[in-house]
Amino acid sequence: MPMKYLDKYPKKFKGTGVIAPLGKVLRHFFTKTVPHRPVTILYPYEKEWVPDNYRGRPGLRFDRCLGCGICERVCPTTCIELVEVADDAGNMVKRPQVNIGRCMMCGYCAEYCPVDAMTTTTDYELAEFTRKDLIYDPRRLHFEYTTDMMEVHIEEHLMSNIAKGITDQPTAFYKTDRPVLEDSKCISCSKCAKVCPVNAIEMIVVGQNDKGKDIKRPKIDDKVCISCSNCVIDCPKDALKMNEVL
Amino acid sequence: MAYESILNFIVNRGTDAIVAMSPYDVFNLPYTIGVKIWESLGGLIAWLINLIFPNNGVSDWLISDPVTNGFAIILMVVVIFAVGFVFCLLMLWEERKVLGRMMDRRGTMIGLKGFMQCLGDGLKTFMKENVVPKAIDKKIYWWAVALVIGTSVLLACMVPLSNRWFIVDYQAGLLIIFALFALAPFLILCAGWSQNNKYSLIGGLRAAELMISYEIPMLILLAGTVLMAGSFNINDIVAYQDTHMWFVIPQVIGFFTCIVCAVAESERVPFDLSEAEAELVEGWQTEYAGMKWGLIMLGDYFRGYVACALVVFMYLGGWAFPVIGGTDWYQMYLPEIVFLLKVALVFFIFVLARAALPRVRTDQILNIGWKALMPLSVINLAIVILLKVTGVM
Repeated sequence: MPMKYLDKYPKKFKGTGVIAPLGKVLRHFFTKTVPHRPVTILYPYEKEWVPDNYRGRPGLRFDRCLGCGICERVCPTTCIELVEVADDAGNMVKRPQVNIGRCMMCGYCAEYCPVDAMTTTTDYELAEFTRKDLIYDPRRLHFEYTTDMMEVHIEEHLMSNIAKGITDQPTAFYKTDRPVLEDSKCISCSKCAKVCPVNAIEMIVVGQNDKGKDIKRPKIDDKVCISCSNCVIDCPKDALKMNEVL
Repeated sequence: MAYESILNFIVNRGTDAIVAMSPYDVFNLPYTIGVKIWESLGGLIAWLINLIFPNNGVSDWLISDPVTNGFAIILMVVVIFAVGFVFCLLMLWEERKVLGRMMDRRGTMIGLKGFMQCLGDGLKTFMKENVVPKAIDKKIYWWAVALVIGTSVLLACMVPLSNRWFIVDYQAGLLIIFALFALAPFLILCAGWSQNNKYSLIGGLRAAELMISYEIPMLILLAGTVLMAGSFNINDIVAYQDTHMWFVIPQVIGFFTCIVCAVAESERVPFDLSEAEAELVEGWQTEYAGMKWGLIMLGDYFRGYVACALVVFMYLGGWAFPVIGGTDWYQMYLPEIVFLLKVALVFFIFVLARAALPRVRTDQILNIGWKALMPLSVINLAIVILLKVTGVM
């Protein structure tokens, strides 16, 4: 009869299931959390280390920027807008303005910037009291502690290079893509030369039409061109097309 | 100068006049503190009245022996409650800090390494709206919670900190503490029933279920301690442990069983079935809003304090200490502090259990109580009887 009573007990001693966690927590308490500091970071007073390539808000180096508008075009949330501001010399220039309330910190603008004027930054404390305060004008986008790591580069490899076995020469679209002219559509309006931010386009007189006016054709300096597509977009007769290599 | 007089006051253990005036046969420190406070406070009032109305009878009456005695007893109770209250806040702080560190957190941080958080929480619950549901049984709703808090505070005040720090030196001290302790589950059941709320009712019923599982092993363990010491009086039990050995050595099984029972008795994790905030909203406390809830929590910590104190009395030698315990300076300065440190140490085990163990399931609690704790306590009792019969202890 007593054995029958004992049979109701589990065969294996289950007490260890209670003692083992107690021992583990006690050991953790005395070896880990008492000699060392806890994991918790007291946020407003101390901050976690942030790597340089952390994707915080976009930053702008005002002097480097050309106002080409690539960032405005690649922005997935269309939070970038080109606005006219006075530069250091007092001339009105076009520079990006970012609506941080809409920005998703993807870093595309920094990636696609051909002159590394747009950068990512390590600034992540962006709360403001009004929506208007969230719009960062070009001067406010300046970030004091910009380092080289914050310039995010596109590093792509040409298929032809890979076929040749060259893998240490990464390139980007602004080194390879160039606009090409469809000669029959061109009406010599010179708009492409006017919109080019780097003055890579020079209008060359190739002849005279029936009325005695000059026939001009754009000549694109491949070394200066940054393939911003401004000429392609603004061409009234779609005579220019971007030759996409990558 | 002031410091010297305080030192003299402690060293001289009060004058014979104070002992003669007091209702106690022996020196009682809180009573003496009460007398000294009244001597300065009542003396000041008497002096001021005497300044305005010279040679009046009221001034003499205020500093006469019977009046001093009466006010000294009131002040003594205030002093004893204040010490228990502050120590409960310290235990709350200990729990929050240690639990935080065990979970790699920091615990509370506000003021004095986080101690002031308790006061902040108290103030917060005090400011809250006093919500009372409509469809309640009003009498039971109010009386049950008042009695739960009241018995908890009474228990905390009944715990003697040393042989000179007590309210009454009961001959049945331990038994009365146990009796008052066992009152709470009944009141919790009533409170759960009165709230007209399913969660509260389930919480109350669980408290009753918990009680029938831990109360009997606890009393058998008490029998072991009492048999060994030969008295219910806490003072005698501690004195016996001081002269022989702490009961934790012969009754090591009883010690661990008692800790489990004490955790269950104070209804803390992993035995907080009646509260069970993950399953029942807040258990039997669901409909108690604002300061009622704050006081219930405070009462919980008072009960935790008493449960730890019981373990210390029964197994860890109370305010006694092995080697240096007999010296004069220990008797002068340390017994209360040593006792409270031991209580804090036992409470650390409570906190450890809370950090490491999940809540016991409702259907497991009777199994644990009757199949594990009860046989262990009976074995403990058998060991005690064996030691007593053979004359070892």
